Amino acid sequence: MDRIFEFLFKYRPLVFEQGDFTFGAPTSVRIWLVVGGLLAAAAVASYTIARGKSSVAERGIMAGLRVMLLAVLVTCLMQPSLILSTVVPQQNFVGILIDDSQSMTLADEDGITRSAFVAESFTPGESELLDQLSERFVLRFFRFSDFASRIDGPGDLTYSGTHTNLAGALDAAREELSGVPLSGLVLVTDGADNDNQPLAEALVPLQAAGVPVFTVGLGEEAISPDVELGRVEMPRAVLEGSSPMVDVVVTQRGIGRVTVPIIVEDEIQILAEETVELGPDGEPVVARIYFELEGRGPRRLTFRIPTQPGERVDRNNARSVQIEVRGEREKVLYFEGEPRFELKFTRRAVADDENIQLVILQRTAESKFLRLEVDDGTELEFGFPSTREELYRYRALILGSVEASFFTHDQLQMIADFVSERGGGLLMLGGQSAFAEGGWEGTAVEEVMPVVLNPPTGGGPDGFFAEVKVRPTPAGFAHAAVQLGLEGEAVQARWDSLPAVTTVNPISEVRPGATALLTGSGDALPAEQVVLAFQRYGRGKSIALTIQDSWLWQMSAEVTLEDQSHEAFWKQMIRWLVDGVPEAVAAVIDQDQIEPGDLVRLVASVGDSTYIEVNDASVTARITSPSGLVEELPVEWTVNRDGEYAVEFRPTELGEYEVEVNAERNGVTLGSDITYLSTGPSDEEYFAPGRRTQTLRRIADETGGQFYTAETIGSLPEDIRVTGAGVTLVEQLDLWDMPILFLLMLALMGAEWAFRRIRGLI
Amino acid sequence: MRRSLFTGPTMAVVALSALSGACARDSGTDTVSVTPLGAEFMAQVAPTLSERPNFVDPRGPRMDPTEVPGRFPFYWTRAIYSGYGRRGWRQSWATDYPKGDQQFLVVLKRLVRLNAYDWENAVPLDDPKLRRFPVIYAVEVGGMNMTESEVEGLRGFLDAGGFLIVDDFWGQREWDVFEYNIRRVYPDRPIVDIGLDHPIYTSFYDIEEVMQVPAIGRTQYPAECYGCVPHVKGMYDDEGRLMVIINFNTDLGDAWEWAEDPRYPLKYSTYAYEMGANMIVYAMSH
Repeated sequence: MDRIFEFLFKYRPLVFEQGDFTFGAPTSVRIWLVVGGLLAAAAVASYTIARGKSSVAERGIMAGLRVMLLAVLVTCLMQPSLILSTVVPQQNFVGILIDDSQSMTLADEDGITRSAFVAESFTPGESELLDQLSERFVLRFFRFSDFASRIDGPGDLTYSGTHTNLAGALDAAREELSGVPLSGLVLVTDGADNDNQPLAEALVPLQAAGVPVFTVGLGEEAISPDVELGRVEMPRAVLEGSSPMVDVVVTQRGIGRVTVPIIVEDEIQILAEETVELGPDGEPVVARIYFELEGRGPRRLTFRIPTQPGERVDRNNARSVQIEVRGEREKVLYFEGEPRFELKFTRRAVADDENIQLVILQRTAESKFLRLEVDDGTELEFGFPSTREELYRYRALILGSVEASFFTHDQLQMIADFVSERGGGLLMLGGQSAFAEGGWEGTAVEEVMPVVLNPPTGGGPDGFFAEVKVRPTPAGFAHAAVQLGLEGEAVQARWDSLPAVTTVNPISEVRPGATALLTGSGDALPAEQVVLAFQRYGRGKSIALTIQDSWLWQMSAEVTLEDQSHEAFWKQMIRWLVDGVPEAVAAVIDQDQIEPGDLVRLVASVGDSTYIEVNDASVTARITSPSGLVEELPVEWTVNRDGEYAVEFRPTELGEYEVEVNAERNGVTLGSDITYLSTGPSDEEYFAPGRRTQTLRRIADETGGQFYTAETIGSLPEDIRVTGAGVTLVEQLDLWDMPILFLLMLALMGAEWAFRRIRGLI
Repeated sequence: MRRSLFTGPTMAVVALSALSGACARDSGTDTVSVTPLGAEFMAQVAPTLSERPNFVDPRGPRMDPTEVPGRFPFYWTRAIYSGYGRRGWRQSWATDYPKGDQQFLVVLKRLVRLNAYDWENAVPLDDPKLRRFPVIYAVEVGGMNMTESEVEGLRGFLDAGGFLIVDDFWGQREWDVFEYNIRRVYPDRPIVDIGLDHPIYTSFYDIEEVMQVPAIGRTQYPAECYGCVPHVKGMYDDEGRLMVIINFNTDLGDAWEWAEDPRYPLKYSTYAYEMGANMIVYAMSH
């Protein structure tokens, strides 16, 4: 299309985009042309007066054609031209940035690798393109992957880079060439940027300096056939004995909608094997995998799909993820307002869970409490905690059938803050003193609940009471707490087999943003009952279980002794409650694929015993390398966010690092946390290795450059000449001799002649 | 015997409950003439019968037989088992029933913050509905002779997590009968003494002595057999949790039933209610 345009309009479209259109005729000629126009108008008028065989309409058409012809002629006589700036040959520099990462070694469908194209196009003495560029510009070559550096020529490229950082490369080249007249940068890459540096940060300075970037996109946009294990989503830390729920995203092209296995393994053994049916070409599908993790400490898990027949890229079939298996015993406070069997059987269900300490505070009389599983005689000796320090020691809080009026106003606010500020988990159980029936409406805790409270029905013998047959919602089927340790259709079958339970709290609506996992139906229910619902609230989560006797799933004669549904339900519920609950001091390294030499950023959140962020703490990171070398670094407040501290460092060894963060203030220890990172070779370059046309076009468009493929790169030297920055001169290009004008005149004359012939006027 | 901290108030509550007319009025065949303390004085100033207000039973309505149990978190449930009457004309399971159960509930609810059904609730051991009441009370087990279905029902109940309270049986012969029946349920589980260091003795009240509680009319000579001493024994599950508590050579049920009788020493009722409260609080939390 560009060629056709160039033939008709004499120059390429880019020239018209860059140039300013003007008429070059001197003023006196213009005056004569105006006079000529008036004469032409008179001639037209004579057409209208003349008599002959033609009708008025025919004369109008012929007059119009003649006027158009005259207009084309006048346009030519007015000397149309383009004014544009062109670079002065050999007085400007052009930086050529060549991608030196591993993805450049991939071969396209024609079998030619991207690196081969680079060699063909940029080797001195062997490339016409390079010769043309060299004639006009002083060339400077750069290689880039995770960082950029000057090279003499393509011969210095190794294609061993494991990351691609486009923004960093543009920044480095711009800074290196900032002291010279720069016509532009040529970026030769497949565009697969897998670094975290935002592209906009590099483009703005280029825009400000008026330096266009000409991007050359290499490779196919989609490599086929290929299966890619794109992403693994799993928690960074789990309790020992947990079965984390892991989502694995898989995409295929050209393989078909077949079923492939996903193997999960650690350093020693295969932990799980799941199959997934691949989606349509290019559409990601999510496979959900469960497996149990035993043994404490950091673990490196690999998720892998075996190489499929004919697959062109197999180094994107596996991902490694770091996870920490924690062996702590998480303390959960269960406060029950009266003796109830729900407490008994919940205790029994989790009794053998070594990672859960279910501390019981049960009110047995007005000012009398039964305490169980406390650490010592002083714990909860005055009843429910009355200070945040005391309550925040627990990671989760379960409230049974206890009325809101039992608590002081401060305690109610404290419970709400326990979720929002401390990040704890709150579970509220059904009962005659729970929810609206317990007077919780209008309290600070009501906002935390994931359910909408109806007006209280009143308790006692005449109060609301209904049987509820419980079943999972679609969201519930995907949740570990509802799955009862089963998979697929077995989950529904198990819930169908469980006996009905009862409720005295009619609740049929969840809050906006909350999710119902279990619902229930029954003859006496005014509407479908929300049985189990949850929501994120602040830093924590709140869960409502609106039934009062889940223990029937253990005791009922309809349930066999071998049925472990009740135990599975409560173990998962309580582990879910404590999952993700932060400590006052928490350290995070949010990077998975780390190679020796990569820059790692450690972020620590620091709070006091009431989980209020502190900005004046003294925080240090003690980094222990695989070989045992210890380095201590200060971790500084980031200023951007309260309580957030960060430090960057470069691990140099292969293997596992332990990073211990300690925080103190005024000599008082606030807390500590340990996190781990594992370094190893990265295959990141092979994930999504297709050409990123959109990214490259964006770079070109935002900087005033152009985008090219391997097929269109031939016009690059000329385009830089007319669009480039640096030392330029003003050039005027005549347009009066554009072939399109001549063709137009011919066409108009021919049209009038044909019209006359057809009408029999000649 | 060193009294626990709550014994005084407990005795007062028991006494007041009993004396305030809280006894069951429709208890069945047993009737007792009541001579309140200070009757002579009170009679001088008490209003005449016609002036006295009618007694309003504070207890809630009885359970609708068609309703599924569960409206209340707790039902004081008596086990119905096959067997022999003590005097041949009435099944032994029904000893002190229903007055003893109703009386027990009245005082229990005043002692413990327990949302309990106000009335008696007797369920056969082989009834699947038994599983809805995880604490059951079996009395006069010296007359027990369970059917096979009752044996299976009791075993399933205990295996699932239920708790059995056994009370009011005396002497070697009655022990042998009980042991024969419980061995049909669990042939190999040992029956052991429950020492005073067991948490059941501190779950609500601090009980520091096991008392022999006599039946009504035997307060001068509590033991119903020569040389019988009171025992509290138990049977544990595979996890080491107490699931059966056996009150042998003692009669807690009579003490609950006759607390309002001025001839019945309050100390026995106090102890019986303390044990009752402790057993229930323990059973509902362990």
